[in-house]
Amino acid sequence: MSQASQGKINNLSLTHVEKRKDAKQKPLDMKLMKRLFGYTSPYRKKCNLLIVMTLLRSFMKPGMVFWMAYVLNKLSMTGDSSWAWTGGIVFFALMVFRGVLFHFRKRWADELGEAVVYDLRKQIFAHLQDLTMSYFDKTKVGWIISRVNSDTENLRRGIQESFFVTIVMGGQMLFAAIAMLFISPKMFLLLLPLALVLIGITYFFRTRLSSLWRSVQDSFSRVTATLAESIAGIRITQGFVRQDVNAEIFSDLVSDHATYHLQAERMAGIYFPMLNLNSQLFRALLVMVGGYMIFEGGGTNISEVLLFIFLSDQFFAPIDAIGRQYNTALTAMAGAERVFNLLDREPDFVDADGALKIGDIKGDVEFRNLDFSYIEDKPVLKKISFKVSAGQTVALVGHTGSGKTTTISLVSKFYLPTAGELFIDGHEIRAIDSASLHEQMGIVLQNNFLFKGSVMENIRSARPEASDEEVMKSAKDLDVLDLIQGMSDGFETQVGEGGGNLSLGQRQIVCFARAMLADPKIMVLDEATSSVDSMTERRIQVALEKLLEGRTSFVVAHRLSTIKDADLVLVFSEGEIVERGTHEELLVQRGTYAGLYRQFAVAGEV
Amino acid sequence: MAAQEDKKDNKKNNHKETNWRNVKGGDFSTWALIWRMIKLAAGYWRGCLRVVFIQLVLLFFLVTTFGGLGSGVKYIQHMTGEDKDKSFVVESIIGGWEWSPDDTWVPMMVLGVICSVVILAAVLHAMARYLEVVWQAGLVQKIVVRLRSDVYNRLQRLSFRFFDSSDSGSLLNRVTTDVQSVRLFVDGVIVELIKLVLALGVFIYVMVGIHPKLTLVCMATVPLLAISSIVFSRLVKPAYKESRVLHDVIVNRLTENLLGKRVVKAFAQEEAEKKKFDEANETFRKQRQWIFWRTSTMIPLMEFFALGNMLMLLTYGGYLYAEGDIEVDGIIVFFLLLRQITEYIFGLFQITDTIQRSLTGSARVFEVLDTEIDIESPAGGGVVEERLKGDIAFKDVKFSYLEGEGVLKGVNLHVEAETCVAILGATGSGKTTLLSLVPRFYDPDAGEVFVDGVRLQEYDLDCLRRNVGLVFQESFLFSTTVWGNIAFGNPKASREKITKAAKIACAHDFIMDLPKGYDTIIGENGMTLSGGQRQRLAIARAVLLEPAILLLDDPTAAIDPETEQEILEAMDQAMLGRTTLVIAHRLSTLRRADRVIVLEDGKIVEEGTHEELMASSGHYRKAAELQIADARSLALLGIEDGGSGQ
Repeated sequence: MSQASQGKINNLSLTHVEKRKDAKQKPLDMKLMKRLFGYTSPYRKKCNLLIVMTLLRSFMKPGMVFWMAYVLNKLSMTGDSSWAWTGGIVFFALMVFRGVLFHFRKRWADELGEAVVYDLRKQIFAHLQDLTMSYFDKTKVGWIISRVNSDTENLRRGIQESFFVTIVMGGQMLFAAIAMLFISPKMFLLLLPLALVLIGITYFFRTRLSSLWRSVQDSFSRVTATLAESIAGIRITQGFVRQDVNAEIFSDLVSDHATYHLQAERMAGIYFPMLNLNSQLFRALLVMVGGYMIFEGGGTNISEVLLFIFLSDQFFAPIDAIGRQYNTALTAMAGAERVFNLLDREPDFVDADGALKIGDIKGDVEFRNLDFSYIEDKPVLKKISFKVSAGQTVALVGHTGSGKTTTISLVSKFYLPTAGELFIDGHEIRAIDSASLHEQMGIVLQNNFLFKGSVMENIRSARPEASDEEVMKSAKDLDVLDLIQGMSDGFETQVGEGGGNLSLGQRQIVCFARAMLADPKIMVLDEATSSVDSMTERRIQVALEKLLEGRTSFVVAHRLSTIKDADLVLVFSEGEIVERGTHEELLVQRGTYAGLYRQFAVAGEV
Repeated sequence: MAAQEDKKDNKKNNHKETNWRNVKGGDFSTWALIWRMIKLAAGYWRGCLRVVFIQLVLLFFLVTTFGGLGSGVKYIQHMTGEDKDKSFVVESIIGGWEWSPDDTWVPMMVLGVICSVVILAAVLHAMARYLEVVWQAGLVQKIVVRLRSDVYNRLQRLSFRFFDSSDSGSLLNRVTTDVQSVRLFVDGVIVELIKLVLALGVFIYVMVGIHPKLTLVCMATVPLLAISSIVFSRLVKPAYKESRVLHDVIVNRLTENLLGKRVVKAFAQEEAEKKKFDEANETFRKQRQWIFWRTSTMIPLMEFFALGNMLMLLTYGGYLYAEGDIEVDGIIVFFLLLRQITEYIFGLFQITDTIQRSLTGSARVFEVLDTEIDIESPAGGGVVEERLKGDIAFKDVKFSYLEGEGVLKGVNLHVEAETCVAILGATGSGKTTLLSLVPRFYDPDAGEVFVDGVRLQEYDLDCLRRNVGLVFQESFLFSTTVWGNIAFGNPKASREKITKAAKIACAHDFIMDLPKGYDTIIGENGMTLSGGQRQRLAIARAVLLEPAILLLDDPTAAIDPETEQEILEAMDQAMLGRTTLVIAHRLSTLRRADRVIVLEDGKIVEEGTHEELMASSGHYRKAAELQIADARSLALLGIEDGGSGQ
């Protein structure tokens, strides 16, 4: 594949595939391997037994071939056909033994691999629950999922295949070698240079092949990325009449992928026949050398030649198998490194030892000279100070990026303040136990995230022990019972992934009910920006009023009614509170708030 | 609990699938499918034949090397035996010809000749293998490239109804995995079957030529192998399928947990989530253990039966050898061939699985290829106008997505060229559908839509769509450069034109502030645009085409009211000199229109200017009042009379 056609593809493409940052393979690293094998320690006994089994099995294959050659030799020497029966019975016994060994070797290795991966998955998930929000802000969901999805799979293969198959193959090679060396050191010497050649060939081709296959995968990910966007953007494509251009791009990409494929296949087409050729070559040379030695009067005999012919494959075949396992191991190493990176990632903060478990709180909140930044030197909040008494509603107003959402995230203790203090009922937030705080809080976010499952389950997720009656009561208290019962299956309506199946308004109502069920002292709410139709809008406003009643509330407000009813309006601009007061006070001030208000209340006229 | 949930889910998905099938009609019987794929393979007969031919060649060389080796050993035995003075005869195992070395040759010379033949045959065999691999790969890629392009092209032209009823994951699979199933039938079933039968035929022919009875005995374990292999695939295949489903449960639990991270933290649900995840993890492990038990029983059993032929060779062959019924070269050839045969027999069993797999996948490919394109330019070419005026008329238009559930129930509307009509209505009232009829994303069930007095169906489809600019609620941008995104509808547009469109859409300034300006790749390195920025890019994309008609589907829906201003200005500029239909909820947008219509349940219930509608006490006024500042606030602001009375 030439550079030129690559360039063409990038210029035209619908998508730009990011350069891979994570290496697919990693050299074998002792530390990493040690840590990985540390995960087998709870299963130490099984693991040791397994290694014994594996060694035994590796001896079986050459052993059986040896036995065959031995019996044939006896037959030809003695001409006594009873040897055939003896040979057959012993061979059968060996077959049975080999089968039983195989069963345990395979089952235990598979179980061991699965056990390790099971533990890892569990550990990763638990660790993800401990990490703080800042980690999830920076990390793509897809990246984390790949760790559980594909890396653990690679690790499993690394443990249950690479390790044990390498032992079997290595053992097999060793036993075959010992047997041959024992029978005829001279003929074995003939084998050695060919083995070295084979190792060289394997190394040469395996490294090239694995890099070629990686290019095949890369080119395929370009195909799928383009395809995924083509499907997602099909309405745009048809609306803008782009079908022909897209077809051309796609066809180029597919041909490009095919070219890489053929390249890899061509390499494989040289490599695999060469392995075979090597064995045949050895056998032919063996007959020549063996014949020479015999004709020249000794050193070997016909049965030994026969044995070498039979055994040589036992010696050569493992070389390729080990080469293949080596690549699997490298891939597993890269997976292990990424998984361990994730596990080693420390949460940005953890609750202090003996953090205060606050019980029922009143709901007083105070910000005192609080600074916050996600990235050093890029302050998002600067010297924020304000005080809210229990039961009051605070509306936060301002442009996107002015710091409203960050402020409410701090109240939720998703992040810790960079400097300054935040008090809840007079306790500094750093000293409060996160879980106990969250139990006192209700949070409704702009995107109204719902889990897959029924509406009932979604509302209940705020308090898993709540009864059906309690769930319904929370809807009733919000005066939305009829709206929920009016959904296709009422409370049993299935919510699709990320809230699919429900309209925006319905989603919001379910989220309100969920927060209501938690019966929080402090309510944090980021109002949805999308307006819904006027009927639902009115109901949402009523529900919202009921939800906020008697609770300390922080609302990133987009609805006029919410702002007007608030006890305190905070106007944010570039991380600072530029104005504060009630709606009416601020209007009189004729400052930023009055300007904003004018803009969105009477936009048409100005 | 978890399993139940998944079943429900599966049902739902199936429902979706069948639903779509019902609409498109595309069920295939197994034989129809097989016949269709055979016809497809026939189109590549040259490639197929080439692969089969080379297979024959390489079989010949393989058997020759085995035979040669046998003869070599036999010659050594002959020369060390009692009757070494008798002449030695090499019999070929294929073709039945013989060769006797000249009596004057020294033994090493004879051996040399035999071994040279072996090496030569081995080299030729390797070369033939190379050709086989490359030719087969070439055949596969040829089919795959062709099919992928075909399916992709088809997909791109299918109507919106099709996409409404299929999920994107399944469509993606059709082009990636399912296409592989079709070609698998060609090279994995048809070609492979011929190859295997040829090889087995040759091997058995050779063995029968050496010793028919021994051949029969050695092949006696094949039925056992067949049975165990069938049992294995019956027993384990479905379990693997289930295992994948269970693994998906794990991944879904994780995904949901990550997507809903804030909710999980906010309600302190970490422990409950861990429990849920561990349950899924445990279920998966238990099922895997079950699989391990079965595979680790069946696979050794199959290996056991496969070794059976070696047992027979040793016992019966050994007996014959001792009795002098078979010679050493025969034993060697048997030994080498039997090992190959086991592999080929496993291959034969695998073909049954392959057929199954390729049938399910290929049905899904043919479904797409057979789906009718129901919206096309009229046969024989339609009306082509470089630039339409943009006068739109809906005449008694009715439309439904599903039969019996009318979405539009008789809409009459006339939009004069270069005016702006805003549409207000509840979710499901038919606003978006009404807009979708203009670029013919759907055709109405009854009634007509006209542009410039000509029925939409009479226009050349591409020409019509080029005259319509679109901006959706949440705009889809492609992960390519800003240039590429704006020029999406006209990739050949000059940089000046693109910049001009960006300026009209008030996007130029923020684009210049991006890390690489117009060359910035959207979505790369976590570079995200705000909702307002995305919408302005979408407006620029629509404006670049200089369309006569502009359709805006609630472009401010997903944007903070505080930020809305950015887009309103862009919209004002974009609308200049075009016919605009805009769906809106916010007063700020509604007031910009020359006329407003209110849709309710598929019908126009109110129509007029903002002022007219405010004067009546209908839906419009109710909706507006929610957003209008009360008199007191306005008084405080110093504006005497707001909204209502204007």
